Amino acid sequence: MPTLERIDEYRWRVPRHGGMRTEGLIFADAELIRDLEGDQSVQQVANVAHLPGIVGPAIAMPDIHWGYGFPIGGVAAFGEEDGVISPGGVGYDINCGVRLLVAPLGIADTRPRLAQLMDVLFTTIPSGVGASRSDVKLQRRELEQVLRQGARWAVEQGYGVPADLEAIEANGELPGAEPDCVSERAKERGKSQLGTVGSGNHFVEVGYVAETFEPAVAQRLGLEPGRLTIFIHSGSRGLGYQVCDDSLDVMIRAAAKYAIELPDRQLCCAPLSSPEARTYWGAMNAAANYAFANRQLMAHYARRALDKVFGGDVAERTRLVYDVCHNIAKHETHEVGGRPQRLCVHRKGATRAFPPGHPELAPQFRDLGQPVLIPGDMGRYSYVLVGTAGAFRETFGSTCHGAGRRLSRHKAKGLARARNIPKELEARGILVRAATRATVDEEMPEAYKDVARVVEVVHAAGIGRKVAQLRPVGVVKG
Amino acid sequence: MPHTADVAVELRARSELGLYQAGVNALRELLVGASPVMPVAERAIEPRGADPTERLIHFLADVLYLWDTERFLPAKVTASGIAGEPYDPARHQAQREVKAVTRHGARVQGGEDGYRATIVFDV
Repeated sequence: MPTLERIDEYRWRVPRHGGMRTEGLIFADAELIRDLEGDQSVQQVANVAHLPGIVGPAIAMPDIHWGYGFPIGGVAAFGEEDGVISPGGVGYDINCGVRLLVAPLGIADTRPRLAQLMDVLFTTIPSGVGASRSDVKLQRRELEQVLRQGARWAVEQGYGVPADLEAIEANGELPGAEPDCVSERAKERGKSQLGTVGSGNHFVEVGYVAETFEPAVAQRLGLEPGRLTIFIHSGSRGLGYQVCDDSLDVMIRAAAKYAIELPDRQLCCAPLSSPEARTYWGAMNAAANYAFANRQLMAHYARRALDKVFGGDVAERTRLVYDVCHNIAKHETHEVGGRPQRLCVHRKGATRAFPPGHPELAPQFRDLGQPVLIPGDMGRYSYVLVGTAGAFRETFGSTCHGAGRRLSRHKAKGLARARNIPKELEARGILVRAATRATVDEEMPEAYKDVARVVEVVHAAGIGRKVAQLRPVGVVKG
Repeated sequence: MPHTADVAVELRARSELGLYQAGVNALRELLVGASPVMPVAERAIEPRGADPTERLIHFLADVLYLWDTERFLPAKVTASGIAGEPYDPARHQAQREVKAVTRHGARVQGGEDGYRATIVFDV
């Protein structure tokens, strides 16, 4: 692991060495840093700092963990003129993200019918290995509309209401999407997976607002204590994975063509102005729109489940709090050296956290700051934060995205072997519905860092402000 | 091999073909655990890639694509591709989704002592 220098209680520097063009900056407390010993995540921060045109430090959030190429929890910004775009800085699951719904029900009223709600959610929203929908099979033309229009396509087909779009990052429709840049293979993988969760760390979680830290902001977001919530975590499914895979082939050749030295093949990239970058940009945004539509459909089916169990009025009054991406690259304007500069900001396992007053926020959030959704593990809690001026100043308007793993899947499975994790969770009042035991074991709560500690770091460092804590009562896993 | 978020495997074999088989075995284990898969049908896979590492990654990515689009489970590497059978929920226990075969730290090494490779699967 490269040397780390402590800057203050929550900031650590990876000093510039070797081919690094800039230094690394990690947000963490001492205990979170200790968790990184023995893995390669700090080296990965240093590797990102090698890439051409990087502006400011290579940043990592307190939920940093060992990824491939970029660390998970990484943020890096590149100048539009001399910088690069790297599919490894976005990840395979393009626009993996989270969405939070709040229902007009108290948790106490929900408990008697919670098991029924979980059963209906489990059957209504397909999860698990290669989950697909028989009721939503996209024809070629429809798929291309999804890729261009994202969540808007879904709402126009009746999957949700227009007000949902105002509560989604970029209104659920990224400009620059080019369906023609998406390969046939990717389209084939995507045609029957819209509206499905997938497996791994993806989930649909039912919970409630356990605590509020800024009651007035929480109330504006509909997060009064005790209110029932539904958290959805998924992304662009097989279509996005294939877009990333296809682009890596092109980018490995591009890196050689443009004489970019790579400390890791997975960091392959191309100059932002190159044709290779433009093709990836068109495909990445198309995949991101697919992910927005995917979560829009899942939210629709979650409302249907509420309708079935609690009635149409509850479903109709269930509102979308917000939807954020945490695997994406975006062109944004940030202040660099006292002047505004257009940058391509990569967030891989990091969430945009724009401050109050930012013009890209919908009017309803303009005075609050952007809602930021931070899921934890399935046994403890999750958080809602809002973006801050500190994040805009220091991290290109970014903050953490989750708890971050601390145990490998192999280790977690070993620990879970002699236990019954769903039973243990049920004893704590959390019902689990899962397609396979393997995923539940690998995703056991102990496999993750305590998200409260992660959130405490971003709150104390000023790159996010705590608004509410949610606690789970049921989870659908793949 | 240890890896926090994903699954890293070290493959070892006496021949290059054996290395491909070891990669297929690892991928199959991630998908359906120890469920037996029979080589009853064959799918062609066109070799792609500029070097041995890229060729192995592409081969495994193509096997994963067959699983994702056709539910075709791999059993045995053949001269022209892969032999296996369609997924049968009565006999095969699905384990987890594998998103991709990554290039992170991937390297095929070959010599008199045989072949070795490290592959990280994104799960």
